[in-house]
Amino acid sequence: MTATQTDISTGEVAAEQRVTEEELARRARQKELTSRWFWRILSYVVVLAVWEFALLDIFSWLRGNPLDPKLLPGPSEVLATFGEIWGEGTMPAAFQATLTRIAVGFGLSFLIGAMVGILMQSKWFEGFFKDAVLISLSAPGLIWVLITAIIFGNRPIGPTIAIILTTFALVTVNVSEGIRALPKDLLDMAKSFKVSLYKRNRQIVIPHLAPYLFTGLRFGFSIAWKVTVLTEVFSSSEGIGFEMRISAVLFDMSEFLTWILAFFFFALFLEKVVLEAIERRYFRWRQAVVAS
Amino acid sequence: MADIKIKNLHKEFGTGDDKVVALEDVNLDISGHSFVSIVGPSGCGKSTLLNILTGIETPTSGTVDITSDGRVAAPGYVFQAARLLPWRTVTDNLLFVQEDRSSETKQRCQRYLEMVQLGDKGDKFPGELSGGMQQRVGIARAFCIEPDVLFMDEPFSHLDAITARALRRELHHMWAETKKMVVFVTHDVGEAVELSNRILVFAKGGRLTDDIGVELPFPRDPSDDEVAVAKAHVLRKFEELDLLAS
Amino acid sequence: MTTTETPRRNDVSASTAMSSAPNPLAVAVRIVKSPHFARLLFPVFLFAVWHITLAAVEQVWPFAVDVLPTPGEVGAFMWDEFITDTLARKNLYETFYISLRRLMSGFAIAMVLGTALGLAMGLSRATNAFCHDWTMAILAMPALAWALFNSIIFGFDDRGPILTVILAGIPFVIVNVREGVRNTPRELFDMARSFKVPQSRIIRHVLVPSLLPFMFAAARYCFSIGWKGLVIAEVFGGQDGAGWTIKFWYDAHRAHGVVGYAAFFVIFAILFERLVFEPISRRAFRWRPQLQTEVVEEAFTENQDLQDQERPVR
Ligand SMILES: Nc1ncnc2c1ncn2[C@@H]1O[C@H](COP(=O)(O)OP(=O)(O)O)[C@@H](O)[C@H]1O
Ligand SMILES: [Mg+2]
Repeated sequence: MTATQTDISTGEVAAEQRVTEEELARRARQKELTSRWFWRILSYVVVLAVWEFALLDIFSWLRGNPLDPKLLPGPSEVLATFGEIWGEGTMPAAFQATLTRIAVGFGLSFLIGAMVGILMQSKWFEGFFKDAVLISLSAPGLIWVLITAIIFGNRPIGPTIAIILTTFALVTVNVSEGIRALPKDLLDMAKSFKVSLYKRNRQIVIPHLAPYLFTGLRFGFSIAWKVTVLTEVFSSSEGIGFEMRISAVLFDMSEFLTWILAFFFFALFLEKVVLEAIERRYFRWRQAVVAS
Repeated sequence: MADIKIKNLHKEFGTGDDKVVALEDVNLDISGHSFVSIVGPSGCGKSTLLNILTGIETPTSGTVDITSDGRVAAPGYVFQAARLLPWRTVTDNLLFVQEDRSSETKQRCQRYLEMVQLGDKGDKFPGELSGGMQQRVGIARAFCIEPDVLFMDEPFSHLDAITARALRRELHHMWAETKKMVVFVTHDVGEAVELSNRILVFAKGGRLTDDIGVELPFPRDPSDDEVAVAKAHVLRKFEELDLLAS
Repeated sequence: MTTTETPRRNDVSASTAMSSAPNPLAVAVRIVKSPHFARLLFPVFLFAVWHITLAAVEQVWPFAVDVLPTPGEVGAFMWDEFITDTLARKNLYETFYISLRRLMSGFAIAMVLGTALGLAMGLSRATNAFCHDWTMAILAMPALAWALFNSIIFGFDDRGPILTVILAGIPFVIVNVREGVRNTPRELFDMARSFKVPQSRIIRHVLVPSLLPFMFAAARYCFSIGWKGLVIAEVFGGQDGAGWTIKFWYDAHRAHGVVGYAAFFVIFAILFERLVFEPISRRAFRWRPQLQTEVVEEAFTENQDLQDQERPVR
């Protein structure tokens, strides 16, 4: 009897302690979060202030002679220029041109990369494509841009090929990693339960590969938009890269910064908000694993 | 009632220098409402035998027949690690191995989930469950296809002693209630003695060396004298085998 | 017993058949099926495609391209460059020396600054909160933007390209070093402290070795991304260097020059990886049997992901 009684009482004490511990942990988290946001917001204020008021002097010092203020507009001026360009209505057209190019080029690249990744499961094809993947991963995207620009001139196929050559290997690497990591234990389990082949592919192979494909998609996209802008600098008469080149040639830094920042934020939005929202939505089970 | 007939079963992996003999000339019959434990040191081919019996592997030579009342029997398999699809909820994991998704099937799945005391966890993902709960889902999955034979490969070896003990009790009740045949692989002799009415001892190289009947009444308490004696008896067999091997 | 005999005898006879009969056809099939053969086949395949494209362009759609250099032209160009017979202002070796010098300066500065920042961000939550978003922004900014910007600010001297290398490479250093700090093995520190090991020895034998793989990953990425950024910077804001020279052939409309020089770029990057990073990695990580690139890339993949890092705290 006494034994059980002490048991119960210690149990109660433990429970009480747990509650306070939980409460303490919650408060600590709250404090931590507040402090994080404080520093984060402070960083935005500081960086924008330095850019607006001090960056010109810093660069003048780095150069050794005073820098023309026109060459380094502050954030307020860039914002004003953004307003102007937006008013002219040229921005959506330029965005559309660039996005179309990315969609076509990267869409094809994704298909080709995935196909090569699947083929590379065979040792023979792995040997065959090994150097292609190595070259694509280690070569600067610039060279494909220049080569395709000189060969194809202004034809739209040039940028498409340049995008494919710079990004396909990222998809390939992720796909073949995914296939290599296929969960043999689950496939065996399904086999022992006599689950049909269709269902095995549909419920095991595809869900397993999806995150790998998605990683390939995200990495590929982050590289693809940069190469696309680069191709437009050399071989195009529309799009973000083209506008950037024009403003750089005219030494109009305010416009230059506006174009690049506008597209930068847009791409970041796609990468970090849209793609990650999709990821969270469809890969909820992965978070479950992370959380546990 | 299910019947397992194994004749001259032989299994090897690899060729040439890499060749490994996993099972050598195994002959075995199991029938009726029996709970058969297979014990032996690791690497002696226990998992391979279950994989062959459930159709994951094919024998190198010899034959395996599993029938139930004259037709091919349906096996249910519980693995050492639960092997749940991490991207499907618990209920969907049970439905994954079913032939249809009718409401009747769903009800059956729910019933077995309740039997392993996870009736309220159907909407969770496996990653949100503890190891013991995951293993119970694995057990429910094997039961919910209403198999003729249940194969289990060291199902409790990853779990802590207390959880394992609770699950062993649950398993015994389910076996007694559903009257299924169970083939249970373990390297824990105590567990084998506690649960089974027949123990098969395998030795390195995949040879079946002993076939021991355990005729004690259930439920068996490990601290009981008779159970302890039976356990000592099987362990002695192990020691003899070791002597033979060295 | 009988069942075990049969398969064994089969095996023996099969292996003797293999060794005793050097069937030339079988040998040929084995060679063709080997991955090494496939690897050698790839360049052959590439040249075949090149020739077929040339033929098709000449015959079928003469207007499909502006120019298509022949493999012969490119080969001749590369050979001329190799023996320093060039039309450009500086020969191949001078050019790559100039670029390598800039790359190394930028790389060294990026490593030092990045390591300092990464350590600070790994150790202090406030610093991390302050710098995190800006690191990610610099990481996501295309090198093209830095290159154009720096060329306008600094004109045509070394500083623009070097600053581009720094800006392109530094986020990778920061992120990897920070990850290294976060992954230091706490239990080993506790162990060392319990044995009263002096602080200096803990730093040397616990902290540094555990940071090293991350530093190495940082160096590798910083170098490779810095190189990609540098050539773009030299294209837009240089008077010499590898990027300037490929632009020179581009402006001169010499397609074989562009392709040939591009090949030098690739060779340079791969040689550097093979001759510098791989041997270092083999030496430095002997204690980790098969680490090398895999772990390094894993670290990179995780690091790139802003959201993943934030998740546990949120
Ligand atoms: N797929 C396989 N390929 C090669 N060898 C295997 C394979 N599966 C099992 N083996 C070998 O067969 C032997 C028996 O393995 P297993 O049946 O897993 O033993 P256990 O009794 O521990 O479950 C071991 O030596 C193992 O290495
Ligand atoms: Mg096993």
